[in-house]
Amino acid sequence: MKCVVGIDLGSTTTKAVILDEEGRILGRGITNSRSNYDLAAKVAREEALITARFALLRHEVEKRAGAEVLRSLLKAFRLSQTLAQLARLEELILGQIPRLVAEPLRAAARTSVGSIFDSIRTEEEAWFKDPDPPARSDFFRDAAGSAYMRLAEEIGDPNGVNFDLLVGLYDRCIIQVENEPLELGFRDHIGSALERIGNPDAVREGVEQAVHVPLDEICTVGTGYGRARLPFPKEQIRSEILCHGLGAHRLFPDTRTVLDIGGQDTKAIQVDDEGIVTSFQMNDRCAAGCGRYLGYIADEMNIGLHELGPLADRSKRRVKINSTCTVFAGAELRERLSLGEKREDIIAGLHRAIILRAMSLLARSGGVQNQFTFTGGVARNSAAVKALRRLVEENYGERTLNISADSIYTGALGASLFAQREAAA
Amino acid sequence: MTITAGIDVGSGAVKAVLMSIEDGEERVLSKVVARIRRRHTPAVIDEVFNAAAEAAGVETIDYIATTGEGEDVSFSTGHFYGMTTHARGGLFLEPAARAVLDVGALHSRAVLMDERGKVLNYKMTSQCASGSGQFLENIARYLGVSQGEVGELSLQGHEPSKVSSICAVLSETDVINMVSRGITTANILRGIHESMAFRFVRLLRAIRAEGRVLMTGGLAGDVGLLKALQDGFEEEKRPGPPIEVVNHEDSILAGAIGAAIWGAFRHRKLGLGEAAWKASTPTRI
Repeated sequence: MKCVVGIDLGSTTTKAVILDEEGRILGRGITNSRSNYDLAAKVAREEALITARFALLRHEVEKRAGAEVLRSLLKAFRLSQTLAQLARLEELILGQIPRLVAEPLRAAARTSVGSIFDSIRTEEEAWFKDPDPPARSDFFRDAAGSAYMRLAEEIGDPNGVNFDLLVGLYDRCIIQVENEPLELGFRDHIGSALERIGNPDAVREGVEQAVHVPLDEICTVGTGYGRARLPFPKEQIRSEILCHGLGAHRLFPDTRTVLDIGGQDTKAIQVDDEGIVTSFQMNDRCAAGCGRYLGYIADEMNIGLHELGPLADRSKRRVKINSTCTVFAGAELRERLSLGEKREDIIAGLHRAIILRAMSLLARSGGVQNQFTFTGGVARNSAAVKALRRLVEENYGERTLNISADSIYTGALGASLFAQREAAA
Repeated sequence: MTITAGIDVGSGAVKAVLMSIEDGEERVLSKVVARIRRRHTPAVIDEVFNAAAEAAGVETIDYIATTGEGEDVSFSTGHFYGMTTHARGGLFLEPAARAVLDVGALHSRAVLMDERGKVLNYKMTSQCASGSGQFLENIARYLGVSQGEVGELSLQGHEPSKVSSICAVLSETDVINMVSRGITTANILRGIHESMAFRFVRLLRAIRAEGRVLMTGGLAGDVGLLKALQDGFEEEKRPGPPIEVVNHEDSILAGAIGAAIWGAFRHRKLGLGEAAWKASTPTRI
């Protein structure tokens, strides 16, 4: 089967979308960006290929063994990938101990690190068995990092191996794990995933069929913040604004205005009836007004990013946040909390602050036309959507607001559409 | 003899000293510094104060002075503004200093003072955390470098990469970019120190500092930042009066020391009778 690939190398995450010959979406992949852009692109593409393979075998497996089996196969696959990464991380950390830890502490450091990793592995196995596991980050770096920090804190300070030392070891090694190519592809782990769910015949046959479908990538187009350093020829690079406009057009063909609030930048784009960009505005390099602002606040409050929206939705009173800078807004949050203001009211105020910044970008790019499409990670946040809806209505009147569950892939989708045109030319 | 405690509550760490003051002779009896991280600040204050009181081994404390964000400390006798305590503490550590540059976790400020520690002029950085201590700490973490190594590494950076102002929150990507461009850790750190130093040079010139300036606050011990700052004054395009920036091993305690000294002063003035704290009935929040 011939396919084309679009890669969006963002500042926070790298996304890939694979289209088949008819332009149908075959697979999507995402990973966190890292200093090795080439590798980030490779991992995202690999992830997209994995979902493409799973999409191919879905039909077969669902028919023969049921949807539940497919789900547990996917979970087993993820577990197998994670265990491979954990093994490498532990190996690296143990390797660093002789270099970074004073001789008398080395044995104790090895014990602490070993017990942290044993606990993480136990938690991973429990995650696999849990029919309804709690939400967590899809990225190894975040999931493993938060488990490691939590366990390092729990272990306390036996024999002088303190939290700082353990975190120092982790920080040094996670960068390396991320920047070396590990074998994490479909073929590498599907075997052990099958073993884990008991190797049922019906599933194995479906897998074998799916493995052998050839996926020939005939064209790839790259976009995003890091596109200039992708190892692609110039004609296979498109600006992220163009890709975003086209991707939003594909998702919602009547789109005329696109607002994208991503991790590290916010874009307001006007497009014509073919998805071609007519004008746009972007924010400068400052976290205030981007998704990272909310991420920082969630970290400050020690809650998950996905919990912020529902919390803010409970607010009854409007609070105006005075600080612009994200770090200072975090300090203001703590201060207001200690003054007895309600958590939900402050958080709702912070959501409003980020949307107000977006409103000014929208105004400068040419306003909000009908239909209006909201993309990026922040579009998944209910409180941000609520604030946006309200402010748009107050300023521009009634507008149809489109939000797609897969909006994080909008840029990569646009790039894959350009790849399709490139391949046809 | 007057025994006082000075507690400096910052946004990144809590610092406490116990001092004895007798016939104008000021002596530090004990000093404790603890990072707050994600802990509840009042608990850290409690811990730091008790540790300092125990280490000093005193029976009573006459005055407990707080500074920084310590206005709400339940057992404090009085609170002093950060700029006055840093000025006074700076003078204690470096009697020849006529200005302090306090580089803390979130804010930086320059304070001009006279030979008795009276504040003459003062200026703070703007409404953005770029170039703050927190910012540098984030960068070090992304580079996998410990706080203690930052300074020494920066000294080895001879071809720094120029950085303009970097958002403290988005710095991770900028660092990733620099790493991917093949810039060494030493040169990245030196570049960041230079951009911070550039701001501090302007800050010190703005308050019309002259002569010796003491760095205080959590970042005062960063030899890389100190060097970049010294170089910054040497390479000024339009040099002003000479400025010599120095640090002191106890620079991080300047606020706490200043608070303890001002506390003793106020105690003498007011002639407060009862002790603020007794070892027999330790304070608990």
